[in-house]
Amino acid sequence: MKIILSNVSDQPLYQQIKDQIKTSIFNNELKEGVQLPSIRSLANDLHVSVLTTKRVYAELEAEGFIVTRVGKGSYVAPGNLEMLMESKRHMVEAKLAEVCQMARSLGINTDDLHSMLDLILEEESEK
Amino acid sequence: MTPILEVKNLNKTYNNFSLKDVTFSLNKDCITGFIGTNGSGKTTTIKAILGLILKDSGKIKFSGMDMDDNERKSKNKIGIVLDEGYFYEELTLKEMKNVIAPCYTEWDEAVFSAYIKQFDLKLDQKIATLSKGMRMKYAVALALSHHADLLIMDEPTSGLDPLVRSELMDILLNFMKEPGKSVFFSTHITSDLDKIADMIILIDDGRIIVNEEKDELLDTHALVKGDNRFINEQTQKLFLTLHQSPYGFEGITRKKKDVRRLMPDVLMERPTVEDIMLTYIGGNNNAN
Amino acid sequence: MLINLVLKDLMLVKKYLFVLLVFAAIGPIYISSKVDFNNGGLVGFLLTVLLLEYILFGMVSKFEDKYKGAALLCATPYTRNSFVKAKYLFIFVIFICSVIIHIITSVIMPSGIEKLNITTLGITFLILSIIFGILIPVQFKFGYDKTKLISFFTIFLIPFVFPAVIGWFQSNHISFAITFPFPFPEIIQAWIPCFLALVIGCVSMVISLKIYAKKDL
Repeated sequence: MKIILSNVSDQPLYQQIKDQIKTSIFNNELKEGVQLPSIRSLANDLHVSVLTTKRVYAELEAEGFIVTRVGKGSYVAPGNLEMLMESKRHMVEAKLAEVCQMARSLGINTDDLHSMLDLILEEESEK
Repeated sequence: MTPILEVKNLNKTYNNFSLKDVTFSLNKDCITGFIGTNGSGKTTTIKAILGLILKDSGKIKFSGMDMDDNERKSKNKIGIVLDEGYFYEELTLKEMKNVIAPCYTEWDEAVFSAYIKQFDLKLDQKIATLSKGMRMKYAVALALSHHADLLIMDEPTSGLDPLVRSELMDILLNFMKEPGKSVFFSTHITSDLDKIADMIILIDDGRIIVNEEKDELLDTHALVKGDNRFINEQTQKLFLTLHQSPYGFEGITRKKKDVRRLMPDVLMERPTVEDIMLTYIGGNNNAN
Repeated sequence: MLINLVLKDLMLVKKYLFVLLVFAAIGPIYISSKVDFNNGGLVGFLLTVLLLEYILFGMVSKFEDKYKGAALLCATPYTRNSFVKAKYLFIFVIFICSVIIHIITSVIMPSGIEKLNITTLGITFLILSIIFGILIPVQFKFGYDKTKLISFFTIFLIPFVFPAVIGWFQSNHISFAITFPFPFPEIIQAWIPCFLALVIGCVSMVISLKIYAKKDL
């Protein structure tokens, strides 16, 4: 699992950590049933507060990505493809919303945005 | 989260300084950093908690029980590291330990020996001959060898070199691994807290100014840098502090969204605890 | 627990302890060889014990003042009360040591020193109790430096005043044993000074506890 925290991101720390754990789960880097590090050791390794990692785990659990057994630790929840796909879609949507917002603030209109997206997709498929 | 220590409306007046209604609580499993400039009331607060100075008014509870009524019981579960050590320097490490150890019902000689070994201390050495770093480590060994639930430290890192300070941070994180432990430590070297603190309490002139989760604090504030042309009467109000030079401006904001909206082309960075501290102390604050 | 704090005080002065204990042994011999009050060794024993106690207590107080160790101890489960009580116990322990040393010396060299009788013991304990019963609370109240000044004058006066006072008692044929006009058996009368000393010590301790409880460390 890879977690890299940015100091210049607008996203709060817990969000950054949460997203990256989710990504690892999506990529199947974290397989179902695998034990996650404890709240304290994750916090220590990332130099963030335990309150932050606690929040990350609580939210991941609420969203169904992990399960926590009292006194044992947290584990990656049994995969639910539909839910994962739904969540992935949601993440893409969130990113797109961010892009739209940025474009608007820079005065890029909808057509330009569409063509930019097409161009990027084209380049991607050429690779 | 359950509190381990609760301080309520603590007041203490000296001739030229006073603590004013100091109120906060420390959560279990958390490292709380107590920051403020020299003379802001950190040591006074800690001494009042420990009953070393008499409070004019206020309540202090440890694990839910009143500390005044349960002095022995609560102090038995608290480890202390005071800034000047307050050791009898004439004694050797072993002699001093022999004075301190019997008063704790849960003193654990094996734990103490392990720390002494880990810190490379010599028991037959006189305390007076210890270096500052060694002395701090010795104090930590004394404070952590009786299975304390709460470790209170007053300026443990002042005057220490960065290597020893980072060693201390590792010791604290190690101590925190066991569930139910808490650390409360005062410092004016805030870089220590960037790495390990969970909560930040800021005191200035005897008043608690900030009492928040560290990451939350750093998430909600931003260090903004950009071109001077963005600064006008309206945008100025977004900043808690603002410094301008011929080359650009630098400021701390708590209104990240508004800054993004009104000043799209600026650089926003996560601030450090020190940035936050300097923002709020000494009437520097032009918010509100 | 208390005894550990007393041991701490003894450890603080360990460098001088041996010399002073030797002094406790030879002091009375020297004094009674120079001046003979013929009073059951009272003056010799009293002066030796007083000096010993004063020097030791002064040294311990100096270290307490220098290192401020009380702050650390009071932050531990020892609390202020133990700290105060230990000081009284310290004085008492030194007194007991002096008595034991005196007894041993008088067994080893019976010619040089008079046997300790109950009256001497009682009077010494009583005077000790009065002096430290005043000194300790004063020191807790005003701190080491001011008390040093006060007690300097006091200690300076003691060697002059006490032999004179005792001499006066003797020249007027007033014996301590009959100053108590109670119809108690002699053995109980002999113990009265000891009992008084304990009472004074306890009262003084209560006062000290009250004073120290209100102190900012």
